[in-house]
Amino acid sequence: MNSLRIARAAVRVAPRALRAPIQRRGYAEAVGDKIKLSLSLPHQSIYKSQDVIQVNIPAESGEMGVLAGHVPSIEQLAPGFVEIIEESGSKQFFLSGGFAVVQPNSVLSINAVEGFPIEDFSPEAVRAQLAEAQKVANGNGSEQDIAEAKIEIQVLEALQAKLK
Amino acid sequence: MTFAWKAAGITYNRYLAVAARVVRRSLKEEKRLAAERRGQQELRFAKWSNGKQGDMKNLAQANQAAAVESAAAGGQ
Repeated sequence: MNSLRIARAAVRVAPRALRAPIQRRGYAEAVGDKIKLSLSLPHQSIYKSQDVIQVNIPAESGEMGVLAGHVPSIEQLAPGFVEIIEESGSKQFFLSGGFAVVQPNSVLSINAVEGFPIEDFSPEAVRAQLAEAQKVANGNGSEQDIAEAKIEIQVLEALQAKLK
Repeated sequence: MTFAWKAAGITYNRYLAVAARVVRRSLKEEKRLAAERRGQQELRFAKWSNGKQGDMKNLAQANQAAAVESAAAGGQ
């Protein structure tokens, strides 16, 4: 370790003119602190490989924040809000569920079925549907109807938590 | 990870459709009308065997029946 440091120091000391010009071709050095975000729905791309600072995603395994240089992983998303932090401020979108793929080289792809900014939701509609879904979940419908109502409750409660 | 809806025979695809439907219905009026059109589906299919077409079935109903069957079989 120590000898390595000495060797590196020696390289740094060597005068510029003595070093042979190194012909190197490669990708331009990326700005290290940004992550490229693609947020896609089947009918629309909300973000298309755009540089952002941080993305907080509602993974099934828990809320997680993704910054540049994150380890590659695939996360199933629970219905919930993604928070996208850009230089100009942060934005929140509600996604109905899908997948987030953290790729190497600071690339993040999020796929969801439906996604809308927080200001597009109507708190009254959420409240009315929540009451309805709770009635179905506690009623005596078929097993499938009850399971679907419980999915709706999960979505609506996630929505309601931030809409107030 | 096991989900409650899996036990009721609901597929991940169906789970996503239900979650997306409720999201669309929660939107403000003008956005909701445009979005709800995406949720509509009307598909019928028929199984062919021995060169003959079988009964026409509605996909949504067939999926529902499959969910009931799968739940009865232990929710695989």
